[in-house]
Amino acid sequence: MMSDQQIIELCAKHDRKAQQVLYDRYSRLLLGVCLRYATDKAEAEDILQDSFLKIFYSINDFTGSGSFIGWLRKIAVNTALTHYHKNLKYRYHIDIEEYVSVETGVTSFEENFFNADELYKVLNELPAGYRMVFNLYAVEGYKHKEIAEMLGIDTNTSKSQYSRAKAVIRDKLEKLGKLKSSYSENN
Amino acid sequence: MKTNKQNINLRELFRQNLEFAEVIPDAAVKLKLMRRVARKEFMRFNPARLNIYYLGGILITGITTAVILFSGSKNFDRLNPLSIPGKINQSDTSSYIEILTEQPISVKHDNSDVIHKESIRSKSTIRIPDKLKGEVSKTSQSDDNSPHFPTVISNSFSKNNLFIKVTPVTKKLQSEFKTNAVLIDPSSSAGCAPLKVHFHNNSDSYDSCRWTFGDGGYSNQKDPEWIFDVEGEYKVVLEVYNHDGEYLSSTASVTVHPRPQVRFEVAPEKAVLPTDEIRFMNYSTNAVQFKWDFGDGSTSESFEPSHTYKKFSKYNVRLLVFSDWGCSDSLTLFNAFSGSEYSIDFPNAFIPNTQGPSGGYYSSKSDEAAQVFHPSSIGVSEYQLKIFSKLGIPIFESNDINLGWDGYNNGQLCEPGVYIWKVRGKFRNGEPFIKMGDVTLLKN
Repeated sequence: MMSDQQIIELCAKHDRKAQQVLYDRYSRLLLGVCLRYATDKAEAEDILQDSFLKIFYSINDFTGSGSFIGWLRKIAVNTALTHYHKNLKYRYHIDIEEYVSVETGVTSFEENFFNADELYKVLNELPAGYRMVFNLYAVEGYKHKEIAEMLGIDTNTSKSQYSRAKAVIRDKLEKLGKLKSSYSENN
Repeated sequence: MKTNKQNINLRELFRQNLEFAEVIPDAAVKLKLMRRVARKEFMRFNPARLNIYYLGGILITGITTAVILFSGSKNFDRLNPLSIPGKINQSDTSSYIEILTEQPISVKHDNSDVIHKESIRSKSTIRIPDKLKGEVSKTSQSDDNSPHFPTVISNSFSKNNLFIKVTPVTKKLQSEFKTNAVLIDPSSSAGCAPLKVHFHNNSDSYDSCRWTFGDGGYSNQKDPEWIFDVEGEYKVVLEVYNHDGEYLSSTASVTVHPRPQVRFEVAPEKAVLPTDEIRFMNYSTNAVQFKWDFGDGSTSESFEPSHTYKKFSKYNVRLLVFSDWGCSDSLTLFNAFSGSEYSIDFPNAFIPNTQGPSGGYYSSKSDEAAQVFHPSSIGVSEYQLKIFSKLGIPIFESNDINLGWDGYNNGQLCEPGVYIWKVRGKFRNGEPFIKMGDVTLLKN
């Protein structure tokens, strides 16, 4: 079992084995990140591929300060933003399939009413612009000022888009919740 | 399991569920990735694995560089070392918006204390920069003692663009040369980027003149035209020289306002017309006023309107935005609700199973033997298939896209030959379709 440090050193030397180990270890986590920014799993996997190419070829930039996982996530997020900018205005939405997802068990939300699959679906159905802002602010924890710079929009635009995204999500969750509770009552 | 959804902090809900959520990628992703890595690795320069390809590449690059350098140095010898690189202006021919501008322009002279006011009404066509339309020609002067005007820039533009006249007046230059001090207050003029300005030199007689436009550009034409691509305030300076080398300068300022940027999305992205209420998501920047045209004759001026269409059709949705300064930008989404990804297609032959009627439900297994006649389709919501014999007698009808024709009629296998099919229905976005054709029933 190689440690992260060993993998990083070997990847810096373009060791093919180490790259595969790195992929096997973190691809699931990073796809979890990418999927939040994509319309469907296929797009998320494209982003994942590009992210790993970037990771492999700029692993020398990882200074060792800060967590390696944090660095990987940051690259995935940036790659997702690049994709968003590329596809802006010309995206078509494709139905999402069921995902195979693994709960890491880090948290169990008290009101564990919605599972990760459902939350992903809600995110995937958001308009792309809202999805970007919501993810960056709510999940990644960036500030509106930073988001504005990343997306090339105004700080106020970021704020207002966040609140509108929240409204749309709440709307969708409420509908989903009603559907689910009526379903469980029938059974 | 009843929850009070209002109490859930959305941010916490998503963060706790998704921040460390894992999703298993398809196995093919890894293969594809490793293939891309291998390709990149092969292209990567690695002295340890210097191979014939790299050697070839280096040789070709070397030769090309040598050729370029050799021919390049020859050319550079002929150029005047004093030449200043001219700025190339941009103009564009793609999308354009027509606006009418009324521009009051005042020019004030220190000497005369007269303020000229003129109003120029100009019909203007603003284009977003796209292609370089400028030509740059260079001349150089050999006489080192006279003032240098090494760069002559002549711009040829396609037709009349935004047109504002700035007229720094330096009349009666000859007499004024003696007084030696003619300062002209900046005449104000403003417009939206890219702003095309026509400058007029009112000097009576002079030997040479030189314009600097404040954005790094020069000209020594008498009445140059200049396009300011970037927003900002520019100080335009005109220097007029007589044959003694004396000169006179006057300035004018040009204010270029930023152009708003229009961007919007339609939600839901796969709308069903006319059922769905369409929401328009507005991502425009720098804009304060919005004009939506939904393409069905109705309009709106709100920031993010909603709209319900009365029937399915092809709609071009257009958003026109204005900034504080009246600068505008527009975007049209042509055929905004088209289901270009929707399709329905039929094969032209099939071979029924001779063992007996299959009921018409098809699978990938029955498709291998082409036993059931059915379409391959994407995004069909309503569907009706009818099949007729050559004599026009209806043989089969299906309202279920998953139910095809197995080649039987009332339990009897139909004769081999040509049959006519007709299908009608609707795609998921509400777009109707009708198709007809023939299919050959083959004998196994």
